[in-house]
Amino acid sequence: MSRYISKRLFSGIITILIVFAINFIIINAAPGDPIKTIMGKESDDPVLRAALEEKYGFDKPLTVQFGIYLKNSLKGDLGTSIIYDRPVSEMIGERLGPTILLVLSAGILSLIIGTIMGIIAARREGSLLDTILSGISYVLNSVPSFWLGLMLIILFSSRLKLLPTYGMTNQRASYTGIKYILDVLKHMILPVGTLLLVQIPTYFRIAKSSVLQVANEDFITTFRATVMSERKIFNKYIFRNAILPTITMFGISMAYLITGVSLIETVFAWPGTGRLVLTAINQRDYPTLMGMYLIMSISVAVVMIIVDIIYAILDPRIRY
Amino acid sequence: MESNLNNKLKKTYKIITSDKQLTAGIIGLLIVLTVIIFAPSLSTHDPNFYGTNVLSGLGENGHLLGTNKMGQDIYSMIIFGTRTSVQVAVISALISGVLGILIGGIAGFFGGKIDQFVSELINVFMMLPTFFLILLIIALFGNSITNVMIVIGITTWPSNAKLMRAQALSIRERTFVKAATAMGESKREILFKYIIPNGIFPVIANTTIGMSNAILTEASLSFLGLGDPNIISWGQMIYEGKSYITSAWWISAFAGVAIILTVIVFYLLGDGLNHVLNPKHANGREA
Amino acid sequence: MSTILEVKNLNITYKNKKKNVYAVKDVSFTINKGDSLGLVGESGSGKSTLATALLRLHPKHSTVITGKANFMGKDLISISEKELLDLRWNELAVVFQKSMNSLSPVHRIGEQIEDIYRVHKPKATKKEISDRASYLMSLVNLSNRVYNLYPHELSGGMLQRVSIAISLLHNPKLLILDEATTALDVVTQGQILDEILKMEKEMDMTRIMITHDMSVVSSSCNKVAIMYAGELMEVGCVEDIIPNPKHPYTQGLLSSFPSLKGEKKELRGIPGYLPDLSIKHEGCIFATRCKDVMDICRKIKPVKKIVDNKQEVSCHLYGGDD
Repeated sequence: MSRYISKRLFSGIITILIVFAINFIIINAAPGDPIKTIMGKESDDPVLRAALEEKYGFDKPLTVQFGIYLKNSLKGDLGTSIIYDRPVSEMIGERLGPTILLVLSAGILSLIIGTIMGIIAARREGSLLDTILSGISYVLNSVPSFWLGLMLIILFSSRLKLLPTYGMTNQRASYTGIKYILDVLKHMILPVGTLLLVQIPTYFRIAKSSVLQVANEDFITTFRATVMSERKIFNKYIFRNAILPTITMFGISMAYLITGVSLIETVFAWPGTGRLVLTAINQRDYPTLMGMYLIMSISVAVVMIIVDIIYAILDPRIRY
Repeated sequence: MESNLNNKLKKTYKIITSDKQLTAGIIGLLIVLTVIIFAPSLSTHDPNFYGTNVLSGLGENGHLLGTNKMGQDIYSMIIFGTRTSVQVAVISALISGVLGILIGGIAGFFGGKIDQFVSELINVFMMLPTFFLILLIIALFGNSITNVMIVIGITTWPSNAKLMRAQALSIRERTFVKAATAMGESKREILFKYIIPNGIFPVIANTTIGMSNAILTEASLSFLGLGDPNIISWGQMIYEGKSYITSAWWISAFAGVAIILTVIVFYLLGDGLNHVLNPKHANGREA
Repeated sequence: MSTILEVKNLNITYKNKKKNVYAVKDVSFTINKGDSLGLVGESGSGKSTLATALLRLHPKHSTVITGKANFMGKDLISISEKELLDLRWNELAVVFQKSMNSLSPVHRIGEQIEDIYRVHKPKATKKEISDRASYLMSLVNLSNRVYNLYPHELSGGMLQRVSIAISLLHNPKLLILDEATTALDVVTQGQILDEILKMEKEMDMTRIMITHDMSVVSSSCNKVAIMYAGELMEVGCVEDIIPNPKHPYTQGLLSSFPSLKGEKKELRGIPGYLPDLSIKHEGCIFATRCKDVMDICRKIKPVKKIVDNKQEVSCHLYGGDD
């Protein structure tokens, strides 16, 4: 088991190194020279140029440059934003909270709701409920999340005036304590709701097909022959076996959420890292964009490693 | 020979109608193709024409689905947008498919160190968040539609490669391949004559689903402002309509519906192909 | 000689939307305590269906079973669900064929054995169960270590032995082995058969061995029943039938196996295919493949007759037309 964990950690570190490498390659491969990329297209200030050249070592061979880049990043220096003239890591840091809030809520809720729905559909396979759920799931899978968010805003905010249109809090009132929490929750409903609608179908499908597949395995027939109660067979044996693909799916889903949340934050003007991405794109703030890419990729890699380890705990066949 | 063709057609027809999703997918595909080919006749206006009726609502001034802020007819834009979406889907899928088939095929067939290296590469790539990478590349290299197609293609090959590799691994053990080797055919010949043609089926289904994802990715890119403003695309329409969401909702709404419908068509196709070409995938149940 | 199981006129029909499949037709036989009956037939002959029906493992809504199966004074076909569930695994158990997936891959073997044991004895302690399991494992030549392992850590032969041990947990009076050694290599098969014979003596058990392999029957059974397309062709003692098969089908089966000693004989398969079981056939069901077929065979179904005071045969060659 520990061998498996160290293998996965090693893989994860390689992945992260590759992410750094990709970032580095992109900086250098982009049209124009790297300094321009980092500085932004405006400044032609020779003093600034010289300083940057010194800092990033552009006159030295590529491998050394990469090393410097690596070292800087690990120290927490992800460069400076061209637009805001602030350290990228600082800007990302202050926006991380709201994003994590969305990602975790949506991720965990969609896992639970989607899996439960999938299990129900599997147990009532062929029924009207199953057909309806499967159909809705199919359609929802094809819906662009940001468009769905927009439509929900039209419906709930604009027409029905039930929910706030944007932001995480009511900026005009300054709530504290419980009122603040409730306010945030109220603002979370639409964005998290949108993410749920888009993510639940995936869990639904996996859970349903997995339960159906396990229910047809030979050992289930064996247990039935021994007169084991259907309840025990399902709760212990079918469940534990069927849950495995869902765990893998969680990793993939989190990867999707971490990257896709930017779209939702854009729609709902949520003060998270996603909005940072939007402004960075519009103003071609490359240091910020690359810093974001780094953080995102590392988060995804970490989540994947954790998911893999959990999977190995649950499935003894994998540990070798 | 004529009866041979006739038989083949009959067989194909039977296969297509055997699976509900495939049938639906093929019908959908035919509709999409019709829209693409007959776009000029199906639309009511020239989508690039900046008319005088700005932000008209549904049915106003002869505009079925209204107009946007530049006076372009939404309905016609949607019709022509089909071409863009399908173009993006097909070309990126082709690039991704060819790359995946070659890399996966070589890795699976030749095995050894090459395979180890490629497998690790595939695993790493599948862990990387591709959407953001695409974002970054487009931001840096420019947001033309050609760039979008190429970038999507070169970032989505890993899943195809994984499938192809698995196929190659099992096909190379089959007797006819061993026979070919014994008869002296070169490794390259075997790869292209036997391994790839026989193993390509799950990749085809996967690529079709990849087309759906390509359409969604292009839409997402446009929504973030990285789309090609010179081309009519559904994603671009949603982006433009974002600021008018409360006043002129129709600009974004129908483009989204078009995306949903087209994506469903490709999903149905991909799912259907999967069922037909790979019966084990269909259900958990015994056949 | 006490009778353990008496099957009388058993009929099993599968019903689905389009048609009925007559899987087992009018089967009758008797098993006494200590017997080991080999139920032989090719794939699709209905032998597994028969076994599954005795344990009532078929889906209720699509299977129609008529006839009697008298097991220790109770009719397995007509008793209540509750009574049957009481009997199943307690007095009557089965070992299935596919061993690789016969246990949950993510739970330890011991844990699964505990769960199975507690179905009939809910208050049993862990020690009680592991002691019993140890005993049974030793009977099938398995080390105690196996209890704490996962299924994927065992070989096919070991897993099959575990399945056998599990079937014996409550000391059933009758054990049905459904193609239990078919998926194994010949050496392992031989070992397991030896273990079964030893076990049988020790546990005073009666056994039905379902197989398509005559050699298994001849080496480990004392009685044999030959089944074809859902009907019994010949039933009797192994020592009578093997050297002297009367029914043409039995003769065909035996000649398709090479013998280890004696001269080289020509190996012959039986030409033809199984008939469609969804149609009711006229005449003898084996007529289309029989080498000794006569006109009467195609028209009238042969009646069961005892030949030479030894085996029961259903064939017109032996006066089946009375």
